[in-house]
Formats: sequence, structure tokens, C-alpha cells
Amino acid sequence: MAGEEPDSENSEGKKKLERWLNKGMKIQMTDGRTLIGVFLCTDRDRNVILGSCEEYLRSPDSGKKEDPRILGLAMIPGYHIVSIHVDEDRAPGQSVM
Amino acid sequence: METKEETAMDNRPTYNWVDITQEFVEASSDLQLGELLHDSTFGLFEAMSAIEMMDSKMDAGMLCNQIQRKVLNFSDSTESGQLKIKELSIPELIGVMDATMACMVTWLEGHSLAQTVFTNLYLHNPYVIEDRCLKAFSLCTLKIVDHIRDRVNRAGVFEEEDFQTMTYGFKMAGDVTDVRVTGMMKELEEDLHRTLKTTRSKQGEERDAETEKEHFLTSTLFSRVKFHRLFYAMLLSFSKEKCEGIPQSQKIVVQLQELIPTIRDTLPVGVQPEQKELSKNDYPTIMGFEPLVNQRLLPPTFPRYTIIKSREAALEYMETLLNRLMVVTTVPQMTSLHTVLDTFKDFSKTSPCVLSRSILQLTLLPPNKRVFGVNSIVDFLKETIRGFIAPPALSPKSSLFNNPQAKTYVDAWFMQAVRPICTLIQTTGHNRARQRDKWGHLLEDLSALQEEADKVDAYLHQQLVKTEPNRQHLACLGNWVLYHTLQAMISYLLSGFELELYAPYEYHYIFWYLYEMLYSWLINTLHRADNFLLEHETIADNQQKGRNNKKNKKKKRTKTLNKEITMAQAEQHMFGGYYKAVLGLRLDGKLVYPSFEFDSEEVQYSHRFLPFTTVSTPPYIHYAQYKEMSDLKRYEPEASAQSLYTASCKCFHQAKALLESMSTANEEIQTLIKVAKTNFVVMKLLMGGHKKDSNEPPDFDFSQHKVYPVMKLM
Repeated sequence: MAGEEPDSENSEGKKKLERWLNKGMKIQMTDGRTLIGVFLCTDRDRNVILGSCEEYLRSPDSGKKEDPRILGLAMIPGYHIVSIHVDEDRAPGQSVM
Repeated sequence: METKEETAMDNRPTYNWVDITQEFVEASSDLQLGELLHDSTFGLFEAMSAIEMMDSKMDAGMLCNQIQRKVLNFSDSTESGQLKIKELSIPELIGVMDATMACMVTWLEGHSLAQTVFTNLYLHNPYVIEDRCLKAFSLCTLKIVDHIRDRVNRAGVFEEEDFQTMTYGFKMAGDVTDVRVTGMMKELEEDLHRTLKTTRSKQGEERDAETEKEHFLTSTLFSRVKFHRLFYAMLLSFSKEKCEGIPQSQKIVVQLQELIPTIRDTLPVGVQPEQKELSKNDYPTIMGFEPLVNQRLLPPTFPRYTIIKSREAALEYMETLLNRLMVVTTVPQMTSLHTVLDTFKDFSKTSPCVLSRSILQLTLLPPNKRVFGVNSIVDFLKETIRGFIAPPALSPKSSLFNNPQAKTYVDAWFMQAVRPICTLIQTTGHNRARQRDKWGHLLEDLSALQEEADKVDAYLHQQLVKTEPNRQHLACLGNWVLYHTLQAMISYLLSGFELELYAPYEYHYIFWYLYEMLYSWLINTLHRADNFLLEHETIADNQQKGRNNKKNKKKKRTKTLNKEITMAQAEQHMFGGYYKAVLGLRLDGKLVYPSFEFDSEEVQYSHRFLPFTTVSTPPYIHYAQYKEMSDLKRYEPEASAQSLYTASCKCFHQAKALLESMSTANEEIQTLIKVAKTNFVVMKLLMGGHKKDSNEPPDFDFSQHKVYPVMKLM
């Protein structure tokens, strides 16, 4: 796979990203939708892949309950990401679903 | 940092969100260009299958695909008063009924339930509907949908393009019995009938306009209620065990057919949607329908737009469906697999819908896997084979019949035959485009079955000659399997014409394979079977009458394959005609093989006949062999375009004569005669040097017949 050479000097940023892998993640997109899923993959341009992803039309914080749409595996282009939240209390490897 | 504890009211997980936007941006910028950060279990393959957000084609939820207006579900719209659940006017009821039928037909053509039938809000919760007519109709519709879904699923002759099985968790009125729903509809019908009686014109009595109108509207509603009740009753009786409901179904189909014109004439009575332009996945509807109510239920694939059929088109669909179901009712009279297969293949040629295909399959082989729900498949096969080749092993007069060892082998082989034969029947039930693939796969099964048959035949022969040295059993059961193998191979090749897969420059080897190989094998197979039949009859006659009665020697044979043989010969000559014509055209420079940089005729040839490589009899002809066998230098004197046209002309003439000699001249044969005649004339013209200087390729016109083209000179 391109660029997968074992980079032994794991930089600070990379370690951080690896710590977030498989955790719940909430991403707000430029069009106002919110996606919640498991963080699976990213690259230098912040393109993010979320697994078991759900789509909310409004921010879940807005108080109004809405039924999410199940998306499954979704890739969010970096330049469409407004904010990223991670679900911190969860043990790594545990799925949100 | 921002932390927010969400209190989950239901079983949703609680999150402890921490904003990491800035951190994430910084961290990810540490990655190399093209480097992916992921777990060991997640690879590029998984990454590829992710849907891309904010891509207008893939992202169904994107703003441009979203609808700005408020979409109300059933309870919202009843509360807001936009959806009436009582006191609907008759035109409103009729509108709902006709629109529902249109939705159902659209569903039957391969769209999802969520985007079709369940855009009807009433079906989401029929129990709270207060209008008696609408409630009964809604429950009946749910029952129909559920029943159809079950039947189509059981028959298993659909692919994703034919039928969507997802129910999205909708309730299909499972707690209401068939009897209850039918009863509700019946009651409704009777009430409407009473109104009709009181409002109809009586002799010497003037009706006022009001009554007249009421009468008309009631009769309009009456015909629809009756149609839906009968439609459900028809489906139920088709699915009765042991085909017991078939006579009943036949009656109902006729009744339904009679109702169609009335419904068609009164389509404008129902309320119609307003004419207004909306976006691509939204369309105007009447009260009770919301195209987008289930938008959230759709799978996360790219958005699929469902265009609901018009009410006229839906009715047309129903009419065709009913005509096809009429054919289905004739099936239980058939006693041989071969007649069944012919009927099924003819049925399939009209590209029937998934529902009629499923009902046809289930009529022959219902879930209990007995033929017409009564006879075992093995017995049915034995009867068929007796009629085709009369194997000594299946004749009660033969010594083999009571040989226990032979019996064990024969029975074991028949058990083995059941599965491939069921697949064969099922293949004819699939949609036309998918059948080609299925024929190809079937060849593997048939080939294995044939090998077994040859072994059993060899053993039976060995036993038979011990007691009846003049008889033989070699290539007997095997010959029957071979017959089906050849039929499957022919179906495979012919479907390529129908699906428009072959280019004219490929025709020569396709025609050659059909003419020289498959049909000549088929004819041999049929002759062989016919000889067995003859032998069987002679022996039976001799045993019956003894030697003193020779008067009836010339008596007419009861079982013969003459019809099949003549048909196969006619078809062989047709393809012979095409083959020779194509060769002549090539020599004349009218059909040129285009030069491809990365392709060759050999590659194309091998690709076309790939599934045939799995079959051992008839052996696969490799390209080199084909080249050798079809080499024109083998002819003395070497063939010219002229002589090939003459030969082709003869073939078409022969085909025509054979077809005309057939006693049953159905539509198919009539068409073939016409095609053969036209091609005969075209060849005559070519022989006479017509358009000799033209290098234009001829046109192969498939408009008269999907497989046998009419050649046209350009």
C-alpha cells in the first residue's frame, strides 16, 4: 500500500492519532450535518473514514431527538470537516454501536 | 475543551465528547503524503468501499438531495388535519386505491417497498383509520404485499434488479387473518351493492342527477373493492396445496379480467395529483401519499430515484399479469418434464414479470418439492424418461426391472438427477438476461450427472445382455442427460442473440457451432432415443400378440420423437444457411474482421464458448480445431462466394420445407417460415450478383425473430 513503509520514528502526532483509532468520533460537516461513527482511518489531508456511521441532520446537542440514518462505512473529505470530537471515556477497541 | 454529558433517554449510548479539532489537524499534518493511518485490521480494500460524503452522486443525504419542505409522517399529518382518516369522499377513496395500485406495480418492477407501497401513509397504521372502506382496503393491500413477498421469496427466481425483498420493519397486518380481511372486503362490497340497487334506474321512474351521480360513483368504487378482494383471493387460491385451487384461480382471473375495462374507464374519477414541478426524488401526490416519508430508511447507497408508474400503466401491467396467470392455470395438466420445459421456455420468451414467474414455478414445484404438490420428482422424471427413450431398466417387462441391484443403482441415480433438474426448471424462471449465466452454470451439473448416467448405463447393459442379448442399455439414461445438456448449450448460445452480445464479425463461429456441432449432436441424440422407443414398442407388441398375429405390423407408433427431430433439423438448416451466407459474405469482402490491437479472434472465440469447456460430451472444440474443421480448402473445388450462397440458399429452402411439413404450425413456426423464405430470396439475389460491388456489410434484422435474423443487403 502506498506510503506504508514502517516509519520507525513515530511522531507525536501519529501516536496521538493511533490512540484515537477505533474510538467513537463525532464529525460536523460544512453543510451542518453531524456524523457519529468509529474512527478507522485518516491521512495527511484529514480525510477521515468512520465505521458504523450514523448521520444526523441537526447537531445532537441541539436537544431535539431525531432518528439517524445508518450509513455504514463513510469517508469524509478533510475540507468538509468543521469540527471533530472524540468519545474519550471508552476503552480502545470498543465500538460505539 | 468542551465536555457535554448527554442523557440518553432511550437505549442510545452516552458519549463523552471532547473537541479535538485543532489537535487532529496538527496531528494529521505529521503524516506523509499518501500515508494512511489505520489499524492493522483495516486496509485499503475496506477504505475503498466507504461512501464518500458530500459527493452529490454518492451522498443521498447531501443538501442538494435534501428536501426543503417538511415531510410529515402518518401521525403528524393526521394530527395536523392534512390526512383524513374518516369521511373520505368517493373520488378521494378511488384516488388512493388507484395510486396504491400504481405503487404496488412499481414495487413489483424492482423498486423498494419504502419508496413505493409505503409512501402510502395509510398503510403505516391502518388500524386507526376510521373510514371502513379505506381501512379494509389498506389491510387488504398489506396482505397482498405480504403474500406476494412470500411467494416471490419462495420461488427464488429473482435477482436484485427484479425484486426488492426488504420490508424495512413495516408491519404487514400479520395479526389479521386472511379470512377476516376477505370478510371485511366482502361486507364492504355487499354494502356498496345495496347502494347500487337503491340508486339504479327503475322502469318508469326518473332518477334525479344526484342519485345518478351517486350510483355512478358507487359502482366505480365497487369495481375497485371487488378487484382487490378478488386479486387477493386469486393469489390465495394459486398457493393452495396440491394445485387444488387452480380451477378456482382460473375463474377468478376471468372475473378480474372483466373488471379491468371498468376500472380503466373510471380512472379519471379518482382525485389526481396537482401538476407541479418538484425535485428529482420528490413528486406531487394526492392526500395520503408522501414520497419522502421513508427517506431515512433507505440504505446508504447512492440515491435511487423511484418513478411511480402512472395509473394507466399500472392497470396495463395488471392486465398482462392476468393474461400470463391464465397460462399458469394450464400447467397442472402436463405429464412430462419436456412439455413443462417447453411451456416454461415459451412463457419466459415474453419476459414475464417476477410475480407471474414465481407463481408459475411454485405451481409446478410448491414448497413441499413435489410436482404439482402431489407426485415425487423422481416419479415424474421416470415417466418423462419412459416417454423419451423407454429405458429397459424402467420397463416392467424387462429382466432388469426386478433385478434388485440394478434397481438400487437406478434409484440412486434418479435421486441424483433431482437437483440439476430442479435447477434446470428454475433457470427458465429467471429474467431473460440472467438466464444466460444460469445456463452456463447448469452445464457443470448436467455434465456430472451425465458421467454418473454413463456408469449406470454400463452396469445395466452388462446385466441386460445376460438375459436379453439382443437388447442394449448403453447411452440410454446418458442420452437423456445429453439431450438436456445440448438444449442448455443451445439456449446459452441463442440467448446471446437475444441479448445482442455478438457482433456480426463473430457470427461465423457461433453459427458454425450451432450448425455443425450442437444441432447435429441434438439430432443424433433424438434419433437414438427414437430407436429405443421403437425397439420398446416392437418388443411390447410381440409379447402381447404372440407370433401368430402379424396383421397389425404396420400399426401407427404411439410414441415417437418425429416432431422434435423435424424441428431440430429445421433449426440446423437455418443455422447452416446463416453460416454459409456469412462465409460467402466474408469472401466477398462484405463482412470484414476489424483489426484489434489487444484482441484476437481466438480470444473472442474462447470467451464465447467458455462454459462449454466443462462439458465432456459433446467435447469442446478448440479454436485451432474450429479453424481446421471449417477450412474452406477442404472443399473440392475450393468454395467460392457464389457456391456458398448457393449452399446457403439450399439450406434455407430445406429449413422452410421441414417447417412447412410440421403438423402443428404455431406462431413461432410461421415466423420461422417467413424468415427462411426471405433469406432464401436474399441468397438468390446474391447468387445473381445483386449489389456485387457494394462493400457495405449486410444488415441482420432481428425484428421478426429474436434469434433468427432476416438478412438485408445494403
